[in-house]
Amino acid sequence: MIAVRDLHKAFGEQQLFRGINLKINKGEVVVCIGPSGSGKSTFLRCINGLEYFGKGEILVDSLELHSIKRVRPDKHDLEAIRRIRLKVGMVFQQFNLFPHMTVLENIIEAPMRVLNVSKEAASEQAISLLRRINLESKVSSYPDQLSGGEQQRVAIARALAMKPEAMLFDEPTSSLDPEMVGEVLAVIKGLVNEGMTTIIATHEMGFAREVADRVVVFDKGEIVEIGTPEEIFANPKAERTKTFLSRVLKI
Amino acid sequence: MRRYLRIISLLLGLGLLLYWAAPSQSKPAALDAIKKRGYLLWGSDAEGGAPYIFPDPKDPSKLIGFEVDIADLIARELGVTAKQSQNAWDSLVPGLQRGDYDIAMNGIEITPQREQEVLFSMPYYIYTEQLVVRKENTVIQTMDDLKGKKVGTLSGTVAQDILTKLGGVDVRIYPGQVQPYEDLAIGRIDAVLLDLPIAAYYGKPNPKLKYAGTPMGEGFYAIAVRKGDADLRKAINEILAKLLKSGELKKIYEKWDLWNEAQEKLYKNIKDSSGYSGLEESKKAPVYTFFPMLLKGAGLTIFISATAMALAITLGLFLTVVRLYSRAPFSNIATAYIEVYRGTPLLIQLYILYYGLPNIGISLSPFVAAFLGLGMNYAAYEAELYRAGISAIPKGQMEAALSLGMTQRMALQRVVLPQAFRIALPGVTNDFIALFKDSSLVSIIAMVELTKTYTILAASTLRFFELGLVVALLYFAMSYPLSLFARSLEEKLKGKRR
Ligand SMILES: Nc1ncnc2c1ncn2[C@@H]1O[C@H](COP(=O)(O)OP(=O)(O)OP(=O)(O)O)[C@@H](O)[C@H]1O
Ligand SMILES: [Mg+2]
Repeated sequence: MIAVRDLHKAFGEQQLFRGINLKINKGEVVVCIGPSGSGKSTFLRCINGLEYFGKGEILVDSLELHSIKRVRPDKHDLEAIRRIRLKVGMVFQQFNLFPHMTVLENIIEAPMRVLNVSKEAASEQAISLLRRINLESKVSSYPDQLSGGEQQRVAIARALAMKPEAMLFDEPTSSLDPEMVGEVLAVIKGLVNEGMTTIIATHEMGFAREVADRVVVFDKGEIVEIGTPEEIFANPKAERTKTFLSRVLKI
Repeated sequence: MRRYLRIISLLLGLGLLLYWAAPSQSKPAALDAIKKRGYLLWGSDAEGGAPYIFPDPKDPSKLIGFEVDIADLIARELGVTAKQSQNAWDSLVPGLQRGDYDIAMNGIEITPQREQEVLFSMPYYIYTEQLVVRKENTVIQTMDDLKGKKVGTLSGTVAQDILTKLGGVDVRIYPGQVQPYEDLAIGRIDAVLLDLPIAAYYGKPNPKLKYAGTPMGEGFYAIAVRKGDADLRKAINEILAKLLKSGELKKIYEKWDLWNEAQEKLYKNIKDSSGYSGLEESKKAPVYTFFPMLLKGAGLTIFISATAMALAITLGLFLTVVRLYSRAPFSNIATAYIEVYRGTPLLIQLYILYYGLPNIGISLSPFVAAFLGLGMNYAAYEAELYRAGISAIPKGQMEAALSLGMTQRMALQRVVLPQAFRIALPGVTNDFIALFKDSSLVSIIAMVELTKTYTILAASTLRFFELGLVVALLYFAMSYPLSLFARSLEEKLKGKRR
């Protein structure tokens, strides 16, 4: 469903990606791991059009995003990016809920404005999403009245309200206190079990092992190894994978 | 934001209510246009004062003076009514040229230089220059005694020319006719040379002062019309001749104690003069008689401030968005606008808008010039506040909105700007207070708002102190509620992020 071909990306002089290739099938769950600064976030952000890239292409179903070198893309490029965003939802490490809106308003804003759903229909859908994550009682709370875990679950609900065909999670639990990690992972797990096409960047190795169909290991802007959780965790081939895993699993 | 605009519109209503009878200004033309319009617009400066034109001490909302009487007579003969159009004395000729009024009549002396700029009617008064000194002074008798002395006069007058040409005189130029005599009385200067009507009204009644020598340097006051309006000048000349013959003009001069021998050259008959005690009366009138005029001025101040602020808020927003989110040439233009407007004095901007633009064929009404001048200036400051507000919003907010499929415009409208406004709001309110006070600057472009009302009234009554306190109180009563509002906003924002 998502294909990344020969992706090149630089930040100024500093070249990060020198030709990344990855194909994600419908319903597949891909987990990206790797040391800090290896390019996991940047990879996800390129797919969602939040970063422009120098060379290569990204295909989502029939939609194509070609290399965009310009600092300011034209109307045509912007429209392509927007269409991809409508198919692919994204959840951020910092939640990024809108602080001036209630939980309900956060969720119904985009369906109403972007998809022209009526307020009633959007609210009904929002409440059923909140029911699924056990936050029905917080409909009219503001983000700063919620715990981090609750905020991240609302952020997931907000992305799901757009009925995406795939979801990107960029370290969804890294900003959370340890006791809240579980509740967020449970929501993601539920989603994965329903067959959502998913790419997750995470440092939660246990979780990666549990939900991944394939694990992708990043290091210094390269994909050093791709494999099933068993292959990667039990029997890593690349030297850099071994170094990385030995470092994180020791802690 | 919406609440903010509601408060502004509330103020607008209040301003309008106070300023119920805004005089309507329209484009003057020649004789036919005046008759069709039904009134004659005559430009003059009520701050210039007595006995020419000044607020009636008994009813300060009414203007009186010998020139008011003449204007009324001329209008009567034209079959219309006279309507005074306020402008600073220095700017009466430019104002006439830009078409703010049909005629200018306010002790304007015929000079070769002015004759190049306007058409003058036949003289309606022969003025002389009168030297005034302190009672105890015996040294200064004639003009020659002025060498090495400090002598006060008004800017742009014939008296100033005489003093400058004399040479060796320390000439002190004053903006109004009250101050030179006050300074003379307390010894800051040694003498004052001004037109006799001024000396008669402001110098002679002062017990500490006296006339020195005989009147000198005859000259003519005449009515100025635009170069193209020869038909109007012809009509005015005919009317003046008629009033001369009928003796009506002389009656006016007698009423104002302005008749003297010099006028004989224009008129045949001489009668005894009867004094006028307007100045004494206005010194005694209770201060509340001035309230209706001051409140009217305050209404205009509120109205100008509120409309200008509405412009500043919206134009500032536009500038910010263009500056931060548009392509190269446009964003640079917005940045340049902000820097230029913040980097030049508001006073200069107002002068250019009102007196400068007519040079290139754009003539704005005083209100439009005030509205644009204040609004466009403050827009630059609002833009800076918004920019600070926007840069305080985490980048993730825009990215989250975009990732939900919103366009950049939608994300700005719904997510970034509402939060940025909340941050900018206390600053915006403080600017509103500052704008309230800066609105006093528009008095230089013929807007009779609160400050101008004050200077006009104070100049004719000499009650700078009492009236000043009242006016300061009025300004405070307008701005204090705003600063309370600003403070409560700040409190609120400190507590919550939303
Ligand atoms: N906006 C930016 N400007 C310049 N360099 C950037 C920018 N964003 C990321 N980088 C650089 O790109 C590299 C990859 O960053 P990225 O955030 O994708 O890594 P990551 O794998 O997500 O790391 P982490 O696990 O810490 O989140 C880093 O070296 C980082 O310094
Ligand atoms: Mg990251």
